[in-house]
Amino acid sequence: MGLFYCPLCRLTAFTGRRHLYSSSHQQRLREVLGRLQAKVQLARKMIKNAVVVKYEVGEHEQLFWCLCCKQEVKRHLSHGSLTVLHGGLLQHMASLEHKKEANKFWWENKADAKIKQQFLISPEDYERFKSSLVKALDAYEEKEDEVIKEMASHIREVEQSRQEVLHAVLEPQTGTEFCDESSAFSTPGGRKSDITIITEEQLGPSAIQITPDLDWMEGNHALTFIGHQESEGKGNVHTGAKPPWLMQDEEEFESKQQIGPSYEEFLKEKEKQKLKKLPADRVGANFDHTSQTGEGWLPSFGRVWNQGRRWQSRHQFKAESGKERVSQRKTGKRPKSELQ
Amino acid sequence: MSFLLSKLTSKKEVDQAIKSVAEKVLVLRFGKDNDPVCLQLDDILAKTSHDLSKMAAIYLVDVNKVPVYTQYFDISYIPSTVFFFNGQHMKVDYGSPDHTKFVGSFKTKQDFIDLIEVIYRGAMRGKLIVRSPIDPKNVPKYDLLYQGI
Repeated sequence: MGLFYCPLCRLTAFTGRRHLYSSSHQQRLREVLGRLQAKVQLARKMIKNAVVVKYEVGEHEQLFWCLCCKQEVKRHLSHGSLTVLHGGLLQHMASLEHKKEANKFWWENKADAKIKQQFLISPEDYERFKSSLVKALDAYEEKEDEVIKEMASHIREVEQSRQEVLHAVLEPQTGTEFCDESSAFSTPGGRKSDITIITEEQLGPSAIQITPDLDWMEGNHALTFIGHQESEGKGNVHTGAKPPWLMQDEEEFESKQQIGPSYEEFLKEKEKQKLKKLPADRVGANFDHTSQTGEGWLPSFGRVWNQGRRWQSRHQFKAESGKERVSQRKTGKRPKSELQ
Repeated sequence: MSFLLSKLTSKKEVDQAIKSVAEKVLVLRFGKDNDPVCLQLDDILAKTSHDLSKMAAIYLVDVNKVPVYTQYFDISYIPSTVFFFNGQHMKVDYGSPDHTKFVGSFKTKQDFIDLIEVIYRGAMRGKLIVRSPIDPKNVPKYDLLYQGI
C-alpha cells in the first residue's frame, strides 16, 4: 500500500491510491472542477461572439488558476488599449501543453472522464473564436472611427462659429490689430490637428471650452509672463515661508509708533462687540460713555453753611475750580475724574 | 491704470495696508500699469470700488517696486490679485491650480463683486479658504510651472 500524498485534498493517505476513489476526494474534485467549469462556460460563450472592449487596468488584469497546469493564467487578452474578454482563457485551454496536463490530471486524480472534454478547447473551436474575434475588432474600429468623425465635425462647426464671431468683431477694428488676429487663428488651427489624434474623451471638454474662452479672452495667451520667481533659499507662499508683512527687520521703531494706538482701538472694538451681544433694551443701553460731564453736574455745589442765592455759590465754585485747574496744569497732574 | 485707485509703491506701504485694513477684504492687484490685461482689470476694480467700499479696500501694486512680495507670492503672470482679511491671506479655489491668487482679469464686474462677497462672508465665518462663485469658464487659464519646490 504505502503512503500516498494527494495534492488536491492536501493530505497523506495511508491506504495508498485507494484514496482516489474515496467519496471525499471525488467530492473535492467535483467542487473544484465545478468552479473551473463556470469560468470555462463563460469563455465558451465568447467563441461564437467575441467581445472587444476598451482596456481597463483593474478589471482586465485578472488571473485564473488552471488546475491541470497548476499555474495562474491571464483570463482576458489585452493589447494596447483594447481587451478581448476571456481571450486568455480560451487561448490557454486550446494549447497543447494544457491538453497534456489535463489528461495527466484526469488520469492521476481518477476524475470523471466524461466531463474532461468540457475543459478542453478543440482547435476547431479556437479557429471559430479567432474568426469571430476578427469580426469584433473590425466592428470596434468602425465604431471608433465614427465617433472620431463626429467629434471632428463638431469641432469644425464650433471653429466655424468662432471665426464668424471674430470676423464680426474684427470689422470695426484697425488694420494693425489684424496681424495679431491672424496669429491667433494659426494657433487654434495647429491645435485642431493635434486634437484629432487624441482619444474622444479628451476631445469633448476641450472642444466645448475653445469657443467661449476665445471670444473674450483674446488676451488669454497674452497674459504677460514676467518670469519665474526664483527665490532660492527664501521660500514663498506655496512652501509656507514667513510672509513679508510679518518680517520685522528695519521697521521696529516706526512700527511701534503705529501699533500702539491701534492695539487700544482693537481692544475697544472687542469690547464693543461684546456689548452688541447684550440685550438691546436693557437699562442704560443708550448710555453715552463718551459724553463729557462738567464739574457742575450736581445741583449743589457743596456750600453748606452759605447763605444767599445758589448762583453765588456757583460763582464761588467755578472760581475755585478754575484756580485748581490752573495749578494742576502747572504740576502736570490729571484732574480727578468725576464721572461714574 | 486707474486714477481712482490708490497705489502702493513700497514694501512698507504694502505691510502697512495689510496690517491696518480691518474688517474689510483687502484686495491687492499686482501688475503693471500699462499692461492691457491689467488695464482691463483695473477698470473693473475702479468701477466696483465704490459699491464695495464697505466690504473691500482695493490697492494697486507695481510688481517691479516690491520684489519681496513678487517673489513671496510667486507672481509669474500679471495681473495677479491677492486677497487679505484682517491681516490674514485668504485662499480661494477658482478651479485653477493656484489658490493663493487670482491670475488674469475678471469677465464682468459682477464676477468680481460675487467673489468679494464670498470672501467676506467666508472670512466673517472664520474660513481661511473659500470656493469661488465664478464659473470656471470665465476664469482665465494659464500654465503653472513649478520650479523644484
